Amino acid sequence: MKTVKRASVLAFLAALFLPGIAFAQTDPGVQGGPARAGSPLASVNSSDGTLQFFQNGQARFQDIESVTNSPTGNNGLGPRFNFVQCSGCHLQPAVGGTGPATNPQFRVIANGFVSGSTNTIPSFITANGPTREARFPFFFDQFGNPNPNAPNGGVEDLFTVSGRSDAGSCSLQQPSFALAQQTNNIIFRIPTPTFGAGLIENVDDSTLLNNQAANANNNLGISGTFNHNGNDGTISRFGWKAQNKSLELFAGEAYNVEMGISNEIFTQDRPLPGEDMNKGLPASCLNLSGSGYPEDTTNFTAKAGSDQFATNASIPSDTVMFAMFMRLLAPPTPSTTTPGGATSIANGRHLFSAIGCATCHTTTLSSTQASNFTTSLSNAPVNAFSDLEIHHMGNGLADNVSQGGAGGDQFRTAPLWGLGQRIFLLHDGRSTNLLAAIEAHESNGSEGTQAELNFDQLLTSSQQQDVLNFLRSL
Amino acid sequence: MAMGFSRFLALLGLSMSLLARAQAAPQSGGDFSNNPEAKKLPTGVLLVKGAWSSASDSVAPLPEGGRVDKNIYNNSYFGLTYALSPDWIEKFSGPPPSDSGYYVLAQIRPADTFKGTARGSILLAAQDLFFTLTPASNALELINFTKDKLNAEYKVEQPPALVAVAGHSFARFSYGSPVAELHWHVLATQIRCHMVQFVFTSRDTKLVESLIQEMDKMTLPAEAGPISGRGGGDVPVCIKDYASGENVMERAEPVFTERRFNPVPVRIIIDKEGKVKHVHFLSAFPDQAKAISDALSQWRFKPYLREGHPVEVETGILFGRAPRLAALPSTNAGTE
Repeated sequence: MKTVKRASVLAFLAALFLPGIAFAQTDPGVQGGPARAGSPLASVNSSDGTLQFFQNGQARFQDIESVTNSPTGNNGLGPRFNFVQCSGCHLQPAVGGTGPATNPQFRVIANGFVSGSTNTIPSFITANGPTREARFPFFFDQFGNPNPNAPNGGVEDLFTVSGRSDAGSCSLQQPSFALAQQTNNIIFRIPTPTFGAGLIENVDDSTLLNNQAANANNNLGISGTFNHNGNDGTISRFGWKAQNKSLELFAGEAYNVEMGISNEIFTQDRPLPGEDMNKGLPASCLNLSGSGYPEDTTNFTAKAGSDQFATNASIPSDTVMFAMFMRLLAPPTPSTTTPGGATSIANGRHLFSAIGCATCHTTTLSSTQASNFTTSLSNAPVNAFSDLEIHHMGNGLADNVSQGGAGGDQFRTAPLWGLGQRIFLLHDGRSTNLLAAIEAHESNGSEGTQAELNFDQLLTSSQQQDVLNFLRSL
Repeated sequence: MAMGFSRFLALLGLSMSLLARAQAAPQSGGDFSNNPEAKKLPTGVLLVKGAWSSASDSVAPLPEGGRVDKNIYNNSYFGLTYALSPDWIEKFSGPPPSDSGYYVLAQIRPADTFKGTARGSILLAAQDLFFTLTPASNALELINFTKDKLNAEYKVEQPPALVAVAGHSFARFSYGSPVAELHWHVLATQIRCHMVQFVFTSRDTKLVESLIQEMDKMTLPAEAGPISGRGGGDVPVCIKDYASGENVMERAEPVFTERRFNPVPVRIIIDKEGKVKHVHFLSAFPDQAKAISDALSQWRFKPYLREGHPVEVETGILFGRAPRLAALPSTNAGTE
């Protein structure tokens, strides 16, 4: 009798809860099928040379760089670097994107890019985890303790060229990653996708300020601000904290910081922040390419060919051509039907705005300035789902890294176009689950708490699913 | 004498070597620590702040200084107490004041123990009317502006109207989202030249009405009203742009050590003699706050007279040089 009663209770509980589980909202996940991004802007064509420049930049973006005697790419890799190829980390779902499913950083020793006798793969770099750069928020003091009074925040490159056959006698040790993890003195960043970046670059400051004013008085606890370029004071907009002004600056910094290649914007090899405080890089690790500095320069001799535009495209430096490639990349094309069907996606789009997400993730910035590059960049709407402002995101997301005017808890509103095919989410790639990423918007000190509450507490499961479907349709 | 000089040289040498040791990069520090017993940093704690709020003293209450204690939200700056419904809590604190003068005072939601079926939230917020990005000179104008600029997802359910709450006048306004089936009810008043607002959000308008009924238990200062809240009484009179023109008899410009581009909104209280008594930085980097404090300590104002007697006055100054939009044309500003 007792057993029967217990079974009935269990059956009742199952009936009560299982349907809820069955219909609970879930992240539809990364959308398969053809890449929804990676093509050039519609106006890019071969008759005005923009296509040749796009293709040239795209090819250089995929070059594997070496320290010296590069068979395919440029020389000057290192002496410290995170990877050997832009597209190694900017590959999902197409060249120019974000981190791929299979992490190439995990195989740098196996693939011969890094010597296994002098380097180890840090534990936070895993075979199927996010491609990452690491930063130490604080310097260690002379006793080896992280010192909260000595902010660092610079990139700590994962690997050194030491031990490579083309690196001579350069001997460098990797930073103290294991201890940094043990002492909570490490944060990560994943690559930002660059699709549609030319449109973001070409939004005038006044458009951004108008959008900010239009979104004031939102009754959602949101009030962002802008990061600014330290040189001219205008609004900067690239990077996780909107710390970079232009694509050329962004490309030059990445070439120097992520790959160790000096260029016409960042003209020296970069020591780690701690090395810079000491004596810099040892002489045995300087000018490893043997060609002097900067390692990436304008090519005074053009590559001869029958196509004048292709010849012209061979002249600029890698940095200029990386920027041109990113600038001419079209924004991702959202799906109107998958996942979840057209009705659900359309409904989710309305809900996304209604509950306040679009206050920061501005659906459309209207519009770009006239462009001197190509017509697709002129007077065009920017459907980036970002206000390009920096917002306080609370201590749950804070990374204690300050960049420009952004403090340790402030981040640029991440543009959401292309979200449907992104694998790793948030600035550090901590999650692959969209629900978890949304949940992370609420914590002490976050401007996102109220909108997250609206999503999490006040929408029905069906409405939440519509929002998720909409987001994965992008 | 010769002995004294050599002792001096020895001391100088020792000092130099100590100084050199203090400045030298650590052998095992920097990015290359090797101490396996190193202390851990706390997790989930913000240690590197950007532009943040601060004040010249810890005595004068600040708008962001309100707290929920024993289920009562108490804000000394605004002279406001608000008892929360049973089983409603502040789960997460809000962000710091923004550089456009916006404050999240408290975010209230049902606790896990909440027994009701309908859920909702209460946002207590304030907007400093000296620094608002919108063209409004009082709380009623700001509410009207909000109504006029509602995004396309919302429908006005009740246009702004004046209502009495806890014996004070509030502007009440409600709107909803048909697709989300959510309703927002906004009640706003003005205190010390700030719009102070309560935003109730829920699917259930009955729940919202019951929460609004509970607002009657609030205590508010006598000045509270959608237009009238301009200080006075026990607190300074607040006057926009008082720190300008002939009111400023002496001034010194801040000397900034770093070139930054963020707006730095500052509220000051000027005493009866015309000196700056209190400085509140809504958003400033520490070096900016230091430079501005040093400068403001040298400013002298014409004392503000009310009925022939000098009184304390509170005003705002915007330092910094971020690009800001000129005020948009005022639209449909309501009247009391």
